[in-house]
Amino acid sequence: MEFNENQTETVPVAETVAAVAKPELVNGSHAVIRSLIEEGVETIFGYPGGAIMPVYDAIYDYQDQIDHILVRHEQGAAHAAEGYARVSGKVGVCLVTSGPGATNLVTGIADAIIDSTPLVCVVGQVAAHLLGTDAFQETDVIGITIPITKWNYQITRADEIPEIMAKAFYIAKSGRPGPVLIDITKNAQNELMSREFTYKKCENLISYRPRLSPKVEQVEAAAKLINEAKKPFIFVGHGVRISHAENELLQFIEKTDIPAASTLLGLSSVSVDHPNYVGWLGMHGNYGTNVLTNQCDLIIAIGMRFDDRVTGDVNRYAKQAKVVHIEIDPAEIGKIVKADAPVVGDAKLALEMLLPLVKENSHKEWIAEFKKFDAIEDEKITQPELAPTTEKIKMAEVIRTLSNKTNGEAVVLADVGQHQMMTARYYQFKKPGSFITSGGLGTMGYALPAAFGAKVGAPDREVVAFIGDGCFQMTIQELGTIAQSGLPVKIIILNNNFLGMVRQWQQLFHQKRYSFVELQNPDFITIGKGFGIDGHTCSVREDLNASLDKMLASDKPYLLEVIVEKEENVFPMVPTGACVSDIRLE
Amino acid sequence: MTTYTICVFTENTIGILNKITTILTRRRINIDSLTVSETERKGISRFTIVIRHESREAVEKLVRQIRKVIEVLAVFGYLNDDIAYNEIALFKVSTPIGAKPIDIETINKVYKAWVVYWHLTYVIIQKTGTEKEIFEFFDYIKPHEILEFVRSGRVAVSKSPQTLVDYLPEAEWEYYQ
Repeated sequence: MEFNENQTETVPVAETVAAVAKPELVNGSHAVIRSLIEEGVETIFGYPGGAIMPVYDAIYDYQDQIDHILVRHEQGAAHAAEGYARVSGKVGVCLVTSGPGATNLVTGIADAIIDSTPLVCVVGQVAAHLLGTDAFQETDVIGITIPITKWNYQITRADEIPEIMAKAFYIAKSGRPGPVLIDITKNAQNELMSREFTYKKCENLISYRPRLSPKVEQVEAAAKLINEAKKPFIFVGHGVRISHAENELLQFIEKTDIPAASTLLGLSSVSVDHPNYVGWLGMHGNYGTNVLTNQCDLIIAIGMRFDDRVTGDVNRYAKQAKVVHIEIDPAEIGKIVKADAPVVGDAKLALEMLLPLVKENSHKEWIAEFKKFDAIEDEKITQPELAPTTEKIKMAEVIRTLSNKTNGEAVVLADVGQHQMMTARYYQFKKPGSFITSGGLGTMGYALPAAFGAKVGAPDREVVAFIGDGCFQMTIQELGTIAQSGLPVKIIILNNNFLGMVRQWQQLFHQKRYSFVELQNPDFITIGKGFGIDGHTCSVREDLNASLDKMLASDKPYLLEVIVEKEENVFPMVPTGACVSDIRLE
Repeated sequence: MTTYTICVFTENTIGILNKITTILTRRRINIDSLTVSETERKGISRFTIVIRHESREAVEKLVRQIRKVIEVLAVFGYLNDDIAYNEIALFKVSTPIGAKPIDIETINKVYKAWVVYWHLTYVIIQKTGTEKEIFEFFDYIKPHEILEFVRSGRVAVSKSPQTLVDYLPEAEWEYYQ
């Protein structure tokens, strides 16, 4: 009775609750997902498992705010996130469980760091009290990923989550982008935060301060060299794309009239139609760009790192030339090639500062020298590749035909090997941000998952992946992801029944001792059909146009297998250890 | 081969040692000595890494790679002339009954070393100095039979008047204690 009396005398229950309402406390898992939403993440690429189940339980509540794509193997999640990041410029996000889930990410993380791709990988871990006990699915993922992440961190308390997630995104995307791994113990996912969830984006860190705006003295020194040079040569690297410097680069090229060539990851930043664009650099790059690297008097390297596939023998590389090196990562300056005028900073800002300092110029004769080499390359290599007399279809004609049909404006992916080099050579990129491939790590199996990641990042663009028959079988299970998500990705398998690039090297450098390079392949189209993906095999030249048209007309995922010449080689070629001007045409 | 002393200032969090040593391991650079301690600033650790290398250029590149570790605040590479440096060594020396006694006066006055522990059959002597001085003493005391010998890593501070704060002026630093 007393109880009842008291109740009638007090204020209504609802008001009481409101008066003393404490902020609603969320658990660590909700904090993870809310942090991702705060960072503007729209899609997570992931795979659930024991140690990440609380976060998966939380996602269930946020499906209206954030998408999740269920991959078929965690490596696929990492590459998909890379494809997404590369095409959109945003951070790609992976979510996986502990132990094997985490170790399966490793190849993708290693790929992302060497190709400067921003990822945040959120990984489950056993509960903190089990760390170091060899608990089920416990792996020292922090230890494993130290050398391949830009930053990694283990969270053991829910309260740490918002701040660490903010730091993770800031580190992943700022400066020279790269992968960040956040390992979250299961207890941190389950426990309630002790305070209200609030999120503040990270904007700076005491210990990490990437230089964005270059020093004026450095820019002036670079401008002086550029203005004095008689045969300057621009190298366009991935950094141009990363800093969205394409327009500034174009203005720079047009004001100075300097010829520009591209690295593998720089492709598409300058349109092939531009009169100053002279081609691709490196091992399978163009004849003129490689030979004239050793004749120019100034290299203006923008956002590139002089990879050994670009330089060949570095002791005989461009020794006659001075070097302006525009690069955001100070550790890259002088790492391979000494820079006479280093410009440390963001490529876009550096070019903006350089523009008013460089004089208008004309380098018609110098550019004409490239054209002479082009004529030779055209006659000896390009034309025979594009209009072959062989019975079997050649890779180059497939790629060029597709290039023409898509007006050079598709998002093109290439896996790793001969077809990758052929794609770089024969697709005529006319729109920035159009070429996605595994450059530094050379990860076979990259393109299929990266392709659907790219489609998520650029849903309005045509996305076509060129994949070799060897590469395709490394991540073939991701056909399941593509089928389930319905993403209309176009896949072209260039099937030569060989691990073609290894075979080429065995032919040229190992006396044709073909050691384990011939593949007995499955029926790819039947496999595609098994996953619910339509497809077609094209084995004769007369069918090529119609096959590509049918593929492009489809509004669903589509698998086109093209049976190509078995033993063709990629040329030109700078053999390992040779110098760039010793490039071989046959 | 030239000796280089690399001083690394980092945030004091778990795993930084691993993040730094992996950079050396990958480049096949062996560590001669390594010491870690908290600095005069709260939460800031100082690594003193001694390496030998033929190429100054390679060491400069190494320093730039170490700087890339997110938790690293600053990295300095020094030649021996740039720094004041020292090590501590402890010698456990056999003094059995009936053997020739150790000459404490010489040990103290000539070698500036001190006995820090006496036992019936041995003594423990502490010697502070450079690597060279420590090995001079090693040679002197060797005839007495050295039962155990240990050297700390090098500790070093630069002779430059600048301090860490000069390189990171905007940071708010709290003095340790």
